Amino acid sequence: MEALSDNVLMMKVKDGDLDKMGLLFERYKRPLYGFFYGLNKEQELSEDLVQNTFLRILKYRHLFRGEGDFRAWMFHIARNVNIDHHRKHRIKATEELENWQERVGHHENQSVEMQQHEEHRMLSIAMDRLPADKREILLLSKFEERKYSEIGEVLGCTEGAVKVKVFRALQELKVIFRQLEKIS
Amino acid sequence: MEQMKIDELVEKYNEGLSDPAEIKLLEQLIEMGEIELTRLRELHALDEQILKVDTAAPSLRLDDQFYTALAKEKRQHGKEPSFSLQSWDLFPRLAAAAVLILSGFTVGYFIQSPAQKNEVSELTQEVSDLKEMMMLSLLEKESATQRLRAVGLTSEMDQVSEKVTNALFTTLNHDENVNVRLASLEVLKGYSKSSKVRTQLIESIAFQDSPLVQVAMAELMVAIQEKKSVDALRQLLKSDKTPTEVKTKISESIEVLI
Repeated sequence: MEALSDNVLMMKVKDGDLDKMGLLFERYKRPLYGFFYGLNKEQELSEDLVQNTFLRILKYRHLFRGEGDFRAWMFHIARNVNIDHHRKHRIKATEELENWQERVGHHENQSVEMQQHEEHRMLSIAMDRLPADKREILLLSKFEERKYSEIGEVLGCTEGAVKVKVFRALQELKVIFRQLEKIS
Repeated sequence: MEQMKIDELVEKYNEGLSDPAEIKLLEQLIEMGEIELTRLRELHALDEQILKVDTAAPSLRLDDQFYTALAKEKRQHGKEPSFSLQSWDLFPRLAAAAVLILSGFTVGYFIQSPAQKNEVSELTQEVSDLKEMMMLSLLEKESATQRLRAVGLTSEMDQVSEKVTNALFTTLNHDENVNVRLASLEVLKGYSKSSKVRTQLIESIAFQDSPLVQVAMAELMVAIQEKKSVDALRQLLKSDKTPTEVKTKISESIEVLI
């Protein structure tokens, strides 16, 4: 079945065919949720932020020009939704070490039934321990399928600068991952 | 920078022997597009692992919230005026508003009950539209379970639009999963009173290559006594790809039909 492109769907939404928003929602609710969940680790909050992103897309649909990529535009809005939420609730971008230790402990309790996913679990913890900006770039890279030029559009920088950011984030992730391997 | 030197730099990094100055140089080359991140073995492996880590899925609460909000937006959108009064002067605008309000009251007074009825029917239509939208969205999913759910949703609809039956036929003719195709055939059976659906069902016979679906289609043609399907069924008999058991079944169906 031939699927309409994101941009075509969004242009239809812009022209008043709001039903097409449902198709975009079905396509992107999961990646967006993954992005927010990766940043915040709270199910309800992440769902609310996905909802807010789509509401904002609806609200500002008249601003979509169809020139750039819809996904980049959507993640750009998603980032702003996340930033606004944290600004509003005055949540610190960096969490204290104690919180991370608690989180590691929490995951360890689950590891009995998830031994086969040990590596993914550790990677997940390592991701959580990254500074917010580095975690964000890796999540964007994952959910934008490594399309660095698109991510550049989201972040307002060049493709090359995105690659360097990804490189630095992966470097730091590697160090944390190794530390976790040692203590596990 | 010479390619050989770049290769050396990458190799040194991959061995874990780079000093801070070399890492800085590496970053510059990455930024310039001279070195792809995929060449940095350990980092690339880590990046691949990130992709494989399961992404948590949102609950149905999100769907409920979103579709409720979308319905609200659609209601508001429908109420937006389709013409602009911006260029009018103030007096004519006020006059127009007064006339509109007065006519509203007058019309409302005389047709109060039908208006209420209209509202209910509008809401019913809205729910039906939402179900239809969900169904069409789900049919796009990669997961066969989701597509089955989409087909199942149509059974909850009192009436289906041509858009829905067309989507069901696309599924019946092209979906890669046999169960999804069978489910859509089952649903379409319910709409076989429509001559258009019957014609499309006959046309669909030629698309079927699964023995299960071929047999189900032959049985359906007998059930709805669609004699026009005989030619299409005979085509299946001629095909070398149709299994013998299926041919036997189809022959039996043809005999009943003629």
